[in-house]
Amino acid sequence: MTPERFREMVSGVLIVGVVVSAAFIAVGFVAALAVGWQGSLLGAATATSATTDFSNLPGRLATLEPAAIAQLGLVTLLATPVARVAASVVGFALEGDRLYTAITTAVLLILLTSILVLR
Amino acid sequence: MTPQADLGIFAISVAAGLIGALAGVGGGILVIPALTIGFGVDIHLAIGASIVSVIATSSGAAAAYVRDRMTDMRVGMFLELATTTGAVCGALLAAVVAPAFLYVLLGVVLLGSAGIQVSRMGEETPPTVSTSGLATRLRLASSYPDRKLGREVPYSAQRIPLGFALMWIAGVVSGLLGIGSGVLKVIAMDGAMRLPMKVSSATSNFMIGVTAAASAGIYLGRGDVDPQIAAPVALGVLTGALIGARFLQHISNRSVRLIFLPVLIAVGVETIGRGLGFGI
Repeated sequence: MTPERFREMVSGVLIVGVVVSAAFIAVGFVAALAVGWQGSLLGAATATSATTDFSNLPGRLATLEPAAIAQLGLVTLLATPVARVAASVVGFALEGDRLYTAITTAVLLILLTSILVLR
Repeated sequence: MTPQADLGIFAISVAAGLIGALAGVGGGILVIPALTIGFGVDIHLAIGASIVSVIATSSGAAAAYVRDRMTDMRVGMFLELATTTGAVCGALLAAVVAPAFLYVLLGVVLLGSAGIQVSRMGEETPPTVSTSGLATRLRLASSYPDRKLGREVPYSAQRIPLGFALMWIAGVVSGLLGIGSGVLKVIAMDGAMRLPMKVSSATSNFMIGVTAAASAGIYLGRGDVDPQIAAPVALGVLTGALIGARFLQHISNRSVRLIFLPVLIAVGVETIGRGLGFGI
């Protein structure tokens, strides 16, 4: 992989991540203005879980809860730097740069540990 | 939260993002005082919302800088080892320290950032320096295209252990306060490691998103990222930063920063006052 392609790839991951996450957050926010943070766009029974609870996201997305849509955007946003680092691991590996493949992998592991393990 | 409060948080976040971009300090550091002092939001929820907005603005800006070859991805990745571990320590520490300490530290960082902005105005390319053994082994020597000078400017990282240590501290501050710590990162790179100012700013932006993600994951798991606050803050700060970036293309950085420095100082003093228990 040429350095130019590498840069294009990293830049692309960042742009797509920010645009997609901002879109979900915006839709969730506007929906909340319309039906409230505890409501649902389907008019179903109002949500009982706290908006800070990110569990059961697919189920709550299915009922179009504004909070769940915004949460999906926030999770996508959090995943964007992780995807950028993962793309960098691939980029350095394809460039044949072992030292930076190792360094980037270490950063990826720190990120995954903080997101999935630490509280 | 009522729609009025939702829109109020959005509006103040646009202002924080805009002023932050124009003053050169980022939006997080201003949005936290605005939320806590202005809207009575719990400081931990304000930090959780701010750190998420930091990911959005830095990733957006980094995408452009990476393409322009202003970002040194090796310098960035190497130093992210320090900032991410620091950010994890900061986020874990934030849960146990007193909120008063967070307010005072935030105010001190705000005042420090304002002071540094004044002292660094008008700096240019640092003199070219010899490449050390460590910089060669870590491949921390490169060049960047300087449009103003119309040529490639070579550089090589100096005092790498000092830069690495300062980056760890920048990570702790970022994780503890939910801010990007961009000013500290730039000091570590151009002050300690003698990297060109333009490369330092671009690479700092590149690193901020990853640093913020390391602590944002912890805040989210802990229940400190509330969409009711984080959604309008992320959208607002991003909008304000985009407007600010557009403004900056047409006007000189220096005069704009001078205009907004008093705002930083006022917010910094107010935040320290809040931490020390003075009413506002």
